[in-house]
Amino acid sequence: MQIGLTGMATLSWPALLKIRAENALKPNSEKKAIIMVWLPGGQSHVDTYDPKPEIGSEYRGPFKTISTNVPGMQLTELLPMNAKIADKFTILRSMNQKAGGHPAGSMQMLSGDSDERDKPKPRLPDWMSVAHYLRGQGEKRQNPLPNYIGVNPPLEYNGPAYLGDAYAPFAVSDDPNRPNFQVPNIGLSDPAEMKRLSDRLALRRSLDKLERAFDKEGELGALDEFESQAMTLLTNPQTRDAFDLGKEDAATRDRYGRNRWGQQLLLARRLVESGVEIVTSSLSGPLCGRVGNWDDHAVNQHQFEALRFRMPNYDRAVSALIEDIYARGLDKRVLVVVTGEFGRTPKISFERSTGAGDASAAAGVLQPGRDHWPRAFSNIWAGGGLQTGGIIGASDKRGEDVIERPCGPGDFLATIYHHLGIDSSKITIDDFNGRPTPIVDHGKPIPELIV
Amino acid sequence: MERWNADALHGANGWIGQEQKSRMLLKLAPSAFRMTLLFRKLFFPCLLASLFFSVRAEETSKPLNFVNDIAPILTKADCNTGGCHAKAITGQRGFRLSLLGFEPEDDYEHIVKEGRGRRVFPQAPDQSLLLLKAANIVPHGGGKKLDPQSEGYQTLVRWIGEGMPYSSENDATLTAIEVEPKKLAMKVNTTQALKVVARYSDGSTRDVTAMSLFEANDRSMAEADATGLVKTLGLPGNVAVMVRYSGKVSTFSISIPLGAPVDALPPSKNFIDDLVFANLKEIGVPPSPVIDDATFLRRVTLDIAGRLPTIAETEAFLASTDPKKRDLAINQLLTTPDYADYFANKWTALLKNKREDAADITANFAFHAWMRDSLLANLPYDALVRQILGATGTIVSNPPVAWYKRVKEPNLQQEDVAQLFLGVRMQCAQCHHHPFERWSQRDYHALTAFFTQVGRKPTAIAGEDLIFHKRGTALVENKKTMEKVMPAALGQTPPKILPDEDPRLLLADWMGESSNPFFAKALVNRYWKHFFKRGLVEPEDDIRDTNPATNPELLDALAKHFIESDFDLKAVIRVITQSQTYQLSAMPNEHNAVDRQNFSHFYPKRLQAEVLLDSIDMLTGAKTDFADLPAGTRAISLPDNSYNRAAPFLKVFGRPEGASVCECERVQSSSLAQSLHLMNSAEVKGKLAFAGGRADRLSKSEAPVAETIREIYLAAFNREPSGEELSIAEDHIVKERLDAAGKPIAPAVAKKLAYEDLLWAILSTKEFLYNH
Repeated sequence: MQIGLTGMATLSWPALLKIRAENALKPNSEKKAIIMVWLPGGQSHVDTYDPKPEIGSEYRGPFKTISTNVPGMQLTELLPMNAKIADKFTILRSMNQKAGGHPAGSMQMLSGDSDERDKPKPRLPDWMSVAHYLRGQGEKRQNPLPNYIGVNPPLEYNGPAYLGDAYAPFAVSDDPNRPNFQVPNIGLSDPAEMKRLSDRLALRRSLDKLERAFDKEGELGALDEFESQAMTLLTNPQTRDAFDLGKEDAATRDRYGRNRWGQQLLLARRLVESGVEIVTSSLSGPLCGRVGNWDDHAVNQHQFEALRFRMPNYDRAVSALIEDIYARGLDKRVLVVVTGEFGRTPKISFERSTGAGDASAAAGVLQPGRDHWPRAFSNIWAGGGLQTGGIIGASDKRGEDVIERPCGPGDFLATIYHHLGIDSSKITIDDFNGRPTPIVDHGKPIPELIV
Repeated sequence: MERWNADALHGANGWIGQEQKSRMLLKLAPSAFRMTLLFRKLFFPCLLASLFFSVRAEETSKPLNFVNDIAPILTKADCNTGGCHAKAITGQRGFRLSLLGFEPEDDYEHIVKEGRGRRVFPQAPDQSLLLLKAANIVPHGGGKKLDPQSEGYQTLVRWIGEGMPYSSENDATLTAIEVEPKKLAMKVNTTQALKVVARYSDGSTRDVTAMSLFEANDRSMAEADATGLVKTLGLPGNVAVMVRYSGKVSTFSISIPLGAPVDALPPSKNFIDDLVFANLKEIGVPPSPVIDDATFLRRVTLDIAGRLPTIAETEAFLASTDPKKRDLAINQLLTTPDYADYFANKWTALLKNKREDAADITANFAFHAWMRDSLLANLPYDALVRQILGATGTIVSNPPVAWYKRVKEPNLQQEDVAQLFLGVRMQCAQCHHHPFERWSQRDYHALTAFFTQVGRKPTAIAGEDLIFHKRGTALVENKKTMEKVMPAALGQTPPKILPDEDPRLLLADWMGESSNPFFAKALVNRYWKHFFKRGLVEPEDDIRDTNPATNPELLDALAKHFIESDFDLKAVIRVITQSQTYQLSAMPNEHNAVDRQNFSHFYPKRLQAEVLLDSIDMLTGAKTDFADLPAGTRAISLPDNSYNRAAPFLKVFGRPEGASVCECERVQSSSLAQSLHLMNSAEVKGKLAFAGGRADRLSKSEAPVAETIREIYLAAFNREPSGEELSIAEDHIVKERLDAAGKPIAPAVAKKLAYEDLLWAILSTKEFLYNH
């Protein structure tokens, strides 16, 4: 039983956790970590991890399939570096969910909301903030770094919902590939500024005389606690180090790719190595092409040009992360998951471009695209102590529907929670109406993806 | 029973230990039990007794049935909670039960007929999967829920062996449960065993303590274990333990006295003081003294007008010798637009005035302005609610229509209305009987039915409908039972509604009746919480028999006062803020620091996001810019949530997004992000260094340093600095400052930095961040 009363008292006057959660959290000493690489808009599964070389040209893209270092596992030629380390990850080819829109699709995958309709704000907290919240209920963390950090985090269609903003990610939004990359609120660089802050704090303490009026056990204790945590974050050189990619050797930085995505994932690895337990990173922005995400409708961008444009950076960054996790012995503790909210329509559509740009022809030019496809898509899993190098499930010959081992968002989430030592079948959290809401409505850990 | 306990408590021997008393209670119990047994034995002669083993002799006399005997065991063992087998749609691992056993017919079906018959095995009952799993003999995801030695397990064995009877028409049905004792005074850190008796339609009774569920409504005050043993913890006051058995609820009320002498009570100002002080006397918690004028003015201005008093207001108030100056200040504040802004901000968020699309701006501004004007004009509360409930037309012609734009489905309209205006959370009853309440699915549908005749016609503005009453018969069909449910208010018989009558207006009529048991209470409790941080009922919108008020007489008196004032919102605020109770110090005395619910001292409240931002602007002399709004607009006057993006401060400090009808969406607790924001955000740094702001101005001022410090103290805390504070601050301002290289910084620059630092230190004190 890790949720002692002392743990409850430190953070929890929105004391949402039911006593029922007893025994549902593993001891804190062996805390596992996770990096989720998020592909907003949805990666075309048939052009990457679930190739369909036999299918007709209405479906098939221009990419050849290649062998990997796992006998029988084929990827498309867009993933040569992934192919070399295919023994270090498992492809789940039978993921499927029910929502065709970006908001609802993201909410299905990240928070397990079964609502198929799009809505602007999530109804349920995403798994990251739930895990962050549950981890906060255990023994006090000694590490000064925030426990949930988003390196260019997914923020649009997810969030802490009724858990409150205290469980939102510590967000790093600057490009870590920029020479003067800055993380606000981490390790002040200017010693004068640092001294000024401690002088201010000393002055504040000498003037604050109302202490006795407050309930130390509750709210005010927490306020003091957060203030000193903030101070550590701002002044402790260690916290600064965790974000300092200058401390990585040049070869490593090159291996991840000297671009935003590569350095994002390198930073993600650096953070879990420094003891951060929940890290997300979206691969989005100009490296995706004209519209800045993976939403390759023909009106947005040329599906195949877009993949040619972005996949080399993707392939390099993701394979580097996986390889590095193993090279540094983090592969037992850290799980790496790569997914988008859905895949792309196996049948190619042709529409006129709405504008020229990277990977998109001039407005009015007919170009190929693929639309939203939640019925079957792939995600990849590495590290986490898993037996890797396998393929789980299968989609049909066109990649349209799952024909083997269907897995839904609940299974996806339960698997992630399981890795984090959270038994999602037992934990409920009260929503705004005080209704105990399960963190996974239905779904169970995918047996091949748990230890 | 009550009488007996009271005597024991105040008997000649003084206090009787609770342990001792529980033993006395238990001694009484068996004879009553035997009586029941005798009755049963006569009623059910010699039934199958020889067939079964190891069951207590008295139990073998009566055949078991699923509804009365088995379902409660599953509930007690937590099998049918939302996290386990009662998970919506799927259950757990293919085995599904209804939530908390409210659908026994379905449960029976799933246990007896599903699972290829493996779940129950009458030939060898203890080989039934149901039992093997429950006892974790076959590995069970939920672990061991029933010990094979337990009474529950043995009852299940017997029931399966008996051929798993469901229940027949002749079986007695459960009519009520009673808990003994019902009410008791208990010292801190003592225990009391509860006994739960079930009453059946045939007049029989039964001890169901072992199968009942127990839950305290404030776990910091008392805890109850699975056997019904209640233990008080270290805090004084009133707490209730809810007892549940087979869909019925009852409550055990405990009053936990501290027992300290209460000698000096401030003179009562009004009925609030009478009732609060009476309670304090009864439980022996002495109140803190009444606050001084400066603290009062800051407290009441923040609470009514959502801002700090100005220096001029402070000086005038402190200088006044009028004995009625506090009451006058309250009256004055209630006439200001600030009052209307502050409370409109509260109500519009709860009524979901949120920006989801750029085009919402007109609707949101109109709704906010309507609410603000209504509050300023002091439109009676029943009329205000009636205008929202019964709104028809378009938003521009009749702004309360905007609520129907935000909340579209009749069931959601009903749920919001119930929670916000009646303090009743109906959501649970949509799918099953409310587990803590008397509300059933039928009650849910009946209340929803008032909203089924809301007609909509699209207008020229996208997303905005014209709202009208659609002629016809209002009703809701229960999808499962196909029952057609007519509109009926909570606990009321369905009124006669003609097809061309708008049912919503009848609902509004009912709300405004002086006999309505919910409407006034919900409002006064909500407003009480606004001023005192804690509602008399917590959460403030979850008023039910099983969650009683900590001071029920006070809640009743406030509701009565509100009704008699014809729902005058300003009158509620006036009577609360004029009371001595509201004006007690936040400083605890040697006894009352442990009090968290009796209002013996004021509980400090962190300034809410908008008020804090405005206060920082006022202190630093900076302005926050909000898009499309005139310069100088304050955060408390913002019409909707869209500004939370542009001013990260508001989001970080928990300004709600208008997503929920619950005040709990507003985050008032602290977080790491808040501390970082105060310490290091460009937003706060910019305000401190604002050109022409207070730091800038004071650093250039010719006035003596002590004068400038006095100004800062008056602005921030509306009081004079103490001698010690003055000297600390003065030393800070005049000391030499060095740059990173160790060289002295030019005096003019250094002085501005010094004032910025002082302002930062001031705005980071608890005295500033909190209303106290």
